[in-house]
Amino acid sequence: MTTVRQPRRRRPPWLAPALLIVPAFLVVFALAAYSAVWLLQLSMVKLTFGDPFRTAEWAGLENYNWLLFNEFTTFWASLRVTAVYVVGTLVPELLIGFLIALLLNRKMRGNSVFTAALIIPMVLMPSMVGMVGRLYFSPYGLINYFIESLTGVRHNWYGADLALWAAVLVDIWEWTPFFILILLAGLQTLPVEPFEAARVDGASRLQSFVHLTLPLMLPLIMTALILRLMDVLRLFDVIFVMFGGGPGTSTTTLPLYIYRTTLIQRDVGRGSAASVMLIIIIVSLTVLLIKLRDRIRYEA
Amino acid sequence: MKLENPRALLSSRILDLLTIAVVAAFLFPYLFMVSSAFKTRLDTFAYPPVFWNFTPTLEHFENIFSDMNILFYMKNSTIIAVFSTLLTILISIPATYSFARYRFRYKEGVAYGFLFLQMVPGISIVFALFFIAGSLNLSDTHIFLIVVYLLWNVPYAIWMMRGFVEGIPVELEESAMVDGASRFKAFRLITLPLMAGGIAATAILIFIGVWNEFSVAFFLTSTEARTMPTTIAFFMTHSGIKWGPMFATATIGTLPVVIFALLVRRYFISALTFGAVKG
Repeated sequence: MTTVRQPRRRRPPWLAPALLIVPAFLVVFALAAYSAVWLLQLSMVKLTFGDPFRTAEWAGLENYNWLLFNEFTTFWASLRVTAVYVVGTLVPELLIGFLIALLLNRKMRGNSVFTAALIIPMVLMPSMVGMVGRLYFSPYGLINYFIESLTGVRHNWYGADLALWAAVLVDIWEWTPFFILILLAGLQTLPVEPFEAARVDGASRLQSFVHLTLPLMLPLIMTALILRLMDVLRLFDVIFVMFGGGPGTSTTTLPLYIYRTTLIQRDVGRGSAASVMLIIIIVSLTVLLIKLRDRIRYEA
Repeated sequence: MKLENPRALLSSRILDLLTIAVVAAFLFPYLFMVSSAFKTRLDTFAYPPVFWNFTPTLEHFENIFSDMNILFYMKNSTIIAVFSTLLTILISIPATYSFARYRFRYKEGVAYGFLFLQMVPGISIVFALFFIAGSLNLSDTHIFLIVVYLLWNVPYAIWMMRGFVEGIPVELEESAMVDGASRFKAFRLITLPLMAGGIAATAILIFIGVWNEFSVAFFLTSTEARTMPTTIAFFMTHSGIKWGPMFATATIGTLPVVIFALLVRRYFISALTFGAVKG
């Protein structure tokens, strides 16, 4: 019996793809690992910002313990502000975005001009958007002018009860186009056949919207919401520039809480512990929602 | 165009007008910002606001170029954005090709690993990075920001460009290889030219991201490497906020980005969704 000889020694099949990934992998994971080691270390020490690192004292899990369980902790209050901000931005953005996407989903001249115009709010420098927002929401600013013309009253957007909502409105202006453009792309690629079948069967427009459009769009809606959620949870620049977390703690979302704890209260340990919590919250929420979306997609 | 009854035509005209109104509403705050850069201080604070009947002035632009040295910050922003973008693309192309064209174990796991690192908020690691920069003697340098931004840009580029490569039929490369080309040559001569548009779009979107980035740049730079978005601190003075120069800086700082964004608007929906949704 003769053995068939291999023409030449083959390289293992995983070698080429692995080698191609190595540079990207090394850069990204090295940066992440280096930052993670430092962040975890900083979250387990007592250290005043501005002092050299060698003055740090080991504190173990004390910082986490304080944030989560101390009776004077402000962490939960900040989490509540974050939740209000997340719901306050995402729900209107999705609803208004969907409505406008439906409005734009018609054959009409100039549609490409409209999509181009909708891109602009999303690409402006957030820090400048925050500054401009600050002026627009000032007592005698643009927003109060329109509100006064319509209702006859001006609001104090700089006050503790409205500041967060001013930041919410800025975000709605910036990011509703995100939902518009994504959902519009989804609407334009919906399959035609089920809608024709429904029309033949005598379904009304509303019926085919509720029973066809919505379920078919649901995975895309979920994707858009997940991407926006990641972004809103880590949003720092606009709120920082507009209000810096104040007045009081009314706009102190978790990213602002990290900044204030680390730089204003100069408590590096607690600030870093809060940073770790923010990362855990974002990653776990995202994993959860991606799983949920994939289950919906599977059933659809 | 097919004939329609007058009622349908009317309702369609109403919807057209509504569409225009909606789009104008989204555009208006930006246009008002640009116009404010050309207003005197008096006009900026007028109540009711002045919309169009004002005498334009260039004093704020003269001010930011002569007194605030805005060119220096534009130069910093340009250096950091250009080099970080180039490095990102260089590192990401081989990895992208690997994810798009090979099958190997844990492929999707590694790809999602990249995506999860992309999600790490800048603000949550910026103070750790502050200590790292100090320990490496790299505080307030261009190179530190250029490298740090790779953490977010490389995963983004891989996810974006993977879709572009997967959209190019693999048969094209295979037929070149049947004709005797090596795999690398087939990639260089066939796939690379076909994905050039996608690479350019990805590069522009990364440039925009770095150009606009605030949270990391603000805490890692002070004087030497300070970027455009972080100059807002200079407008807040003891005698109040210098609104005119701020509007002028905002106008100049956003102009290249708006132009770039409109250039790649075809790719924008992919860009927003990491390539998950095609426009």
